[in-house]
Amino acid sequence: MIWKTAWKNVWRNKVRSLVVIISITIGIFGGVFAVAVMNGAIEQKVDAALNEEISHIHVNDPAFRDNYAIQLTIPKADQVLSTIKGTPGVAAVCSRTVITGMANTATKSAGVQILGIEPEAEKEVLKLHETCIPGTGDFFATESRSMLAYIGESLAKELNIIRYRIDESVLDSLAVREVPAEILEKLAVFSGKRFKSEKSFKKELKGVLTMKEQHEYGASIKEEAWSFRARSKMTLTFMDKDQMQTGAVFRIAGIYNISNGMYEMGQVLVKNEDLMQLTGLDSNEYHQLIIRLNDLESTEEISESLKAKLSGLEVMNWKEIQPQLAMMTDMITKFYTIFMVIILAALAFGIVNTMLMVVLERTKELGMLTAIGMNKKRVFNMIMLESVFLSMVGGVTGIIISETLISATARKGINFASYAEGFEAMGYPSHIYPVISTSFFISVTILIIITGILSSIYPALKALKLDPAEALRTE
Amino acid sequence: MKVLELQNVHKIYNSSEVKVHAVNDISLNFEKGEFAAIVGPSGSGKTTLLNMIGGLDTPTEGVILVDQTNLASLKSSALIDFRMRNIGFVFQSYNLIPVLTAKENVEFIMSLQKWNKKDRDERTYELLKAVGLEDRVDSRPSKLSGGQQQRVAVARALASKPKFVLADEPTANLDSKSTETLLDIMEQLNNEEGITFIFSTHDARVVKKARRVITVEDGKIISDEHKH
Repeated sequence: MIWKTAWKNVWRNKVRSLVVIISITIGIFGGVFAVAVMNGAIEQKVDAALNEEISHIHVNDPAFRDNYAIQLTIPKADQVLSTIKGTPGVAAVCSRTVITGMANTATKSAGVQILGIEPEAEKEVLKLHETCIPGTGDFFATESRSMLAYIGESLAKELNIIRYRIDESVLDSLAVREVPAEILEKLAVFSGKRFKSEKSFKKELKGVLTMKEQHEYGASIKEEAWSFRARSKMTLTFMDKDQMQTGAVFRIAGIYNISNGMYEMGQVLVKNEDLMQLTGLDSNEYHQLIIRLNDLESTEEISESLKAKLSGLEVMNWKEIQPQLAMMTDMITKFYTIFMVIILAALAFGIVNTMLMVVLERTKELGMLTAIGMNKKRVFNMIMLESVFLSMVGGVTGIIISETLISATARKGINFASYAEGFEAMGYPSHIYPVISTSFFISVTILIIITGILSSIYPALKALKLDPAEALRTE
Repeated sequence: MKVLELQNVHKIYNSSEVKVHAVNDISLNFEKGEFAAIVGPSGSGKTTLLNMIGGLDTPTEGVILVDQTNLASLKSSALIDFRMRNIGFVFQSYNLIPVLTAKENVEFIMSLQKWNKKDRDERTYELLKAVGLEDRVDSRPSKLSGGQQQRVAVARALASKPKFVLADEPTANLDSKSTETLLDIMEQLNNEEGITFIFSTHDARVVKKARRVITVEDGKIISDEHKH
């Protein structure tokens, strides 16, 4: 009966209760949805890092990571490869030659890490080949007498390999993407013009478009105006095995686009045979072995096993290679909980205020209930239940709305294209798919109940202090 | 059989400036089945007396025994429980729980005492029938007249089969017809089921019905008249 009475009491003053419920709903919705977006971004970042950049375990000479010296190859690499392949839980392994050098075009240059790879083996371990921008080439499948390179979009922009142009076809494509006619008219002044760099293109756009127009259509315009001449040339220079400077002209046979702008800027993939020819390394001399596991959860177990088997070599799992990623995955749940606790703490003050008004308004009734035999524990429970019901109605509504919106946006994602550069600079994707675990919803529900209970303590203690005879005299 | 005994009960209110002797050396006995009215002008101490009898207030001096139990010997929680099982209350302004129906108001105390549903339903129906509201079981207080609400309050007071019912000015907010109906119901419950009623009132109609009239003035009993 106390549960029933408490529930009915919640709806005694509908307007007041609804104000509190709506504020809780908005707070929970905002918190949960923000967490889902953050969680989605972080999961995508971790997935992308593991699938496109580092995979699960690296094996190299213990001193190799200190200076990336060309001489620090893995001794008896073929035997090491066999040992790794024979380790249970290993899905695939590929070898890499890693050299530090410079990438140059006619106008620009940049420091890069040149990764000599075996395309077929590399495809088994990492999915960088899947991130190739359509129309830029097919590095992994192309056989050529020329030396080929696969570079990141950021580096391509930096080296002015990617250019921008406005012509009739670009304007037509923009019209299809529902860019308004007045914008197209403004862009038409650039028809037939080519821009050497993204910077100069942006500068010109700023001259004709307002800030709002740039914000709304800038990303679409850049995407359509993007231009790349197939097989553009780039020179890579570096030191060979004998510390002599060497280099060669490479043709760009693909531009990859991942969410990590830093990686795009610094990593150039070339075929191992070309690099060996230029550096003088033997065909079985590698700097790094990259391992993909069947199950991510077994990373630590297998890396420990390999450390034992491969004494004299450095075996590092992804958590050791990128500790910030490990920290993110380990700490993020705690961060989300703290975030929700702060939101609920703010909401708790509103609930306390409402429950204090409830006690003040119902002084006479509480006096009557004590008079007819409702003891302090039951009075406390009734006030507490009212507070919990109030919190739960708002909280559960907030969770349902959040879950609905998360489900709706999880399929297509949320595109922050306008802020893509900022996101990519931090290594985050600009197209985020919100995601949240069921356990988080359970945690939030428990937190809401705790908030309801804690918010009721002060008002309930006030109610317990009422003297029934005096309370009954209240008008 | 004595259900209530007051021995030299005093109640003194000490404020910073004045000392008020609200109840001054009152001794009384109530037998089972009495239909008694405590009368007196406003400020005479009758409500204070009733509050002390009901365990809502404590005497400054003296002893109150309900069914041989000294109320002063009970701790706060035990006193609340004792009230629930032994004393029924009817208040001047009905004091029903507005969000509950007539039936739920009546069965509230029974549910606190953890009666099973079948017994609770039977007792609730029996009481609402006794007060003539068996057709209004699902009505909320706001849908009932003042007289009907007070009849629900009487049914609620009787729910836990108390030793006696204390009614503080039960007819003060009622019209003549409702007062008549309510008094008839209480008199009938008193006659047929032997329930003890103790009223605090200055309503002449209640006094007329009462079989014992105790007159209080300035905190003292000035007469205790048993009618026949």
